[in-house]
Amino acid sequence: MLNRFFLLIFLGLNFQFFSQKATISGYLTDASNGEALIGAKALIPLTKQGAVTNTYGFYSLTLPVGKYVIEYRYTSFLTITKEIDLTKDVSLNVELGSSVNELNEVEINAKKGENVNSAKLGQVELQMEQIKTLPAFMGEVDVIKAIQLLPGVSSVSEGGQGFYVRGGGPDQNLVLVDEAVVYNAAHLFGFFSVFNADAVKGVNLIKGGMPANYGGRMSSVLEVNMNEGNNKEFKVKGGIGAISSRITVEGPLKKDKGSFIVSGRRTYIDVIMKAAIPDTSPFAGTSYFFYDFNLKLNYKITKKDRVFLSGYYGKDVFSFGDTKSNFNVKMPWGNGIAAFRWNHLFNPKLFMNVTGTFTDYMFKFGSNQDQFRFSLTSGVRDVGAKVDFSYYPNTKHKLKWGADYIFHTFTPTSVSAESDSIVFDTGLAQKLYSHESAVYLTDEFDLNDAWKFNVGLRYSMYQQVGPFTRYIKGDVGTPDTSIQYGKGDLIKFYGGFEPRFSFRWMLPDKSSIKGGYSFNYQYVHLTSLSAVSLPTDIWYPTTDKAKPQSGWQTSLGYFKNFDDDKWETSIEAYYKGMNNLIEYKEGALPGDNVNDNTDNLLVFGKGWSYGVEFFVKRTFGKLTGWVGYTWSKTERKFADLNEGNPYPAKYDRRHDLSIVATYKLNERWTFGAAFIYATGNTLTLPTSWYVQEQNLLFNYGARNSTRMAPYHRLDISATWYDKATKTKTDAVTGAKIEVKKRFRHNWSFSVYNVYNRANPFFLFVDNNGDFLSGDFKLTVKQVTLFPVIPSVTWNFAF
Amino acid sequence: MKLILITTFFSLFTLLISCTKEVKIDIPGYKKQLVVDGNIETGSPAIVLLSSSNDIYSPTNLDAYLNGFISGATVIVSDGTITDTLLEICSDNLPAGTEEIASAFFGIPVDQLVNLHLCAYITDQIVGEEGKTYSLKVIHEGKEYTAQTTILPPTNLDDSFWKPEPGLSEYGFAWLKLTDAPQSGDSYKWEVKRISDFGFSKPFGPFFNDRFFNGLTFEFAYENPMSYNDPSVPDQFKGYYHQGDTIVMKLSKLGQSEFQFFEKKYNQIYSSGNPFATPVNVPSNISGGALGIWAGFSPSYDTLICIQ
Repeated sequence: MLNRFFLLIFLGLNFQFFSQKATISGYLTDASNGEALIGAKALIPLTKQGAVTNTYGFYSLTLPVGKYVIEYRYTSFLTITKEIDLTKDVSLNVELGSSVNELNEVEINAKKGENVNSAKLGQVELQMEQIKTLPAFMGEVDVIKAIQLLPGVSSVSEGGQGFYVRGGGPDQNLVLVDEAVVYNAAHLFGFFSVFNADAVKGVNLIKGGMPANYGGRMSSVLEVNMNEGNNKEFKVKGGIGAISSRITVEGPLKKDKGSFIVSGRRTYIDVIMKAAIPDTSPFAGTSYFFYDFNLKLNYKITKKDRVFLSGYYGKDVFSFGDTKSNFNVKMPWGNGIAAFRWNHLFNPKLFMNVTGTFTDYMFKFGSNQDQFRFSLTSGVRDVGAKVDFSYYPNTKHKLKWGADYIFHTFTPTSVSAESDSIVFDTGLAQKLYSHESAVYLTDEFDLNDAWKFNVGLRYSMYQQVGPFTRYIKGDVGTPDTSIQYGKGDLIKFYGGFEPRFSFRWMLPDKSSIKGGYSFNYQYVHLTSLSAVSLPTDIWYPTTDKAKPQSGWQTSLGYFKNFDDDKWETSIEAYYKGMNNLIEYKEGALPGDNVNDNTDNLLVFGKGWSYGVEFFVKRTFGKLTGWVGYTWSKTERKFADLNEGNPYPAKYDRRHDLSIVATYKLNERWTFGAAFIYATGNTLTLPTSWYVQEQNLLFNYGARNSTRMAPYHRLDISATWYDKATKTKTDAVTGAKIEVKKRFRHNWSFSVYNVYNRANPFFLFVDNNGDFLSGDFKLTVKQVTLFPVIPSVTWNFAF
Repeated sequence: MKLILITTFFSLFTLLISCTKEVKIDIPGYKKQLVVDGNIETGSPAIVLLSSSNDIYSPTNLDAYLNGFISGATVIVSDGTITDTLLEICSDNLPAGTEEIASAFFGIPVDQLVNLHLCAYITDQIVGEEGKTYSLKVIHEGKEYTAQTTILPPTNLDDSFWKPEPGLSEYGFAWLKLTDAPQSGDSYKWEVKRISDFGFSKPFGPFFNDRFFNGLTFEFAYENPMSYNDPSVPDQFKGYYHQGDTIVMKLSKLGQSEFQFFEKKYNQIYSSGNPFATPVNVPSNISGGALGIWAGFSPSYDTLICIQ
């Protein structure tokens, strides 16, 4: 296998020793603010050879010496053309000017044909400008909600945390913000994402054909790149919305050398609740709010070195108070993330990025009632480093290799309880430590004009180390035993190869067929006791007992564009297999892990998912948008659950349809609409009832055997922009002239769930009355969260 | 800004009234099962009630409830020495002096009970003894169901007392002092009654085990469950014992598998309708595919006069 892999790379490298070559390289940036442009193109129209910028805006194009016309292109930016007499290596940084207000047919289509031409399979890039035109729930622009409109991606429901890609669980998505892992990407139980739209540059979702430089998760990668900050001038932007407000300040640290950006956001639901709930109410202490901050600094130390520092800190705080029973609860949770990156250019062909990351996710629950106090803490802390090299030997190859390492500290649950001076025995605070590392090599190369390959291999390793106490539970009536491991003791080692492969075969009619295979190991798990995803879900590492998840995915797609690439269409089919998935044992209770290991409460099984995704996208003109439809099936099989029979995953959806449209009427008005239809989620409801000691009890049927009503919803939005210019009188000539306004603002109106569909959030069996009085009644009830909700947000920038 | 304020309140208003409606949805998988509700405690005969489970959409009127009880089954209890086929005693033909017991067991007032045909199975020769294991066999409609339970040694309370809650001179919780045995896995049931009542009542969370206090001596408080159904107790004093009340407290020991049943039973009752709770079937200790429990209890009692 390995020999074949390296042989393929060697043959594919196709070195051309016989002609003299030189390299044009540099950075492509936005002329207005100096932001690096990700995925911009340096293209030679004559030969159709080109290069695409990486996350840092860097490109490298090695060509035989000679004269060239090079076009620099980026979506919605004016294309810049340069003539170059290439006799030696040239460094050429290019600033592209935005043409948002002067769009024409040539400029908007800078990325035309890329979906067909590239070897990317199952990848979607969304720019913030595009996301901002979509209807926003409660006025909060949300990147996670935007990607949930793509085929193959779904949310469990309103109020469900995370997202689900091609039948994988929410823990199987690698969410990266500036290369640091985000464990919980949701605020307010998933109603909002942790990403402040003003601080985000764009998102890239990989749902299949994951390249070898990514690992640690089985289903997808969501790469969120934060803005770097304006390195030309100081700018302030923000918004005031129905439930939250935000502000962003950015500016140069030193003009064209470095910049900063600081963003903050806070909800004021708590303030409104405080006003709404009188002090005399028994629930006077109940409130909720969240806030988050983003900070990013960058500085070009030399022409070849640049450093970045990114930080995020966000927290949700829920408080509940019942004055009558003297009972109160405080529940904070949130992420703290930091990433330091250093870019170094060894030579025009070799680019290096070194990253150091810190991630901390924490969930706490504390309650007091009279003298009794209880607290629970759960979380995960990662300290990591990685190095990535990108090598561009010629226009046909792009090699990447690197290594990464993470030291995990997991606290699945740490419980303390006391009553007056009595401290209850809640066991030792369980912390689990592990090293996760990987090395990889990948090459994206053109074999010829028709065939393009991306071949990669990753080897990942995982070591669980002490200190650790392994509890071995005896049967009922027999004593438990335990094994103690000292600090640094190796408890268990796992490792394995993760091959990745994808291809593009260009057909004569300019359509293409793409296929791919990927195999991944995942060393972290998310355990959930509830029917919906919550912050209370516990991140749990691979241990001597809980083996790493592993999964493979194969996919095949057909891509074709129409009408000069104004319409993009694709059909992708996939099959995914998953092993060592985890669930809680039937009947497990959260308190069961006192003096125990969480993995003693877990059971292990496998899953599979398959489906077909249809995608039609209009990329050009006043009306843009897409239609995505997915037919899929997702099942799980656990020997210890559901009597060993396969059962549908809770987010198994047979049909999932999204229609998204944006209509730019003129420079002042843009309209958006999104329609979603999805098969109802599955859940487990009682099939029968019985009575024991005069108490009504339920007996549940097969796992996830009940399906809720379909989910569908229409959202619309309208954004009004103020005029970009104002009329001034020239002091000298007295003539009226139009000058650009420094202060700009817009009003964004949106209506969520226009036709007030009562979509199911969950179902439950309600019982009321009394048998003996004859008014006893059992009913199945559906809870709906959001009816029609209008919102308005005022956004400004100066 | 006014526009924002208005929409804010409208948005929050709509958020707060997340609606609930009745739906009819297909819930596949119903199968009728026998339900066994049997217990034996120190000094008392074994009592077994048999009924059947009902489809979630089946009628829930009084007739359906009453018709759910099963008569005509063969129920056998053995302590290893004596094997006793239980007597079937029906509510319309109760032996003199057992009306109150039957009323407490069925939860139906005596005057109504005697007009109904509800049957229970009671041992004639066996009375619960500490340390003995009792096996149960039920034969119904050609199927056989079996279970075992043991009456464990009881744990006596160290002390009990009453003290008023801060700010309430006449109302307070009942406090108990308990020393848990050194070995882990001890499980308890806590019940209480006014001295004049016939049956015991269970407060919130009546079953607990020593997971958090194994081998410790500690004090804990319990509410007054009777007060919730007593119209003479003002709402603000529900849950408290009134100064001067005389109550009898009953602390019963039970086995771990029986505790599993009751723990999950109350977990299901308390989390009913909560989307954040995982669906939990209550684990029966009856083999043969029946629901329910066959449980042995060893009670200890304490009488408390609520004075400080």
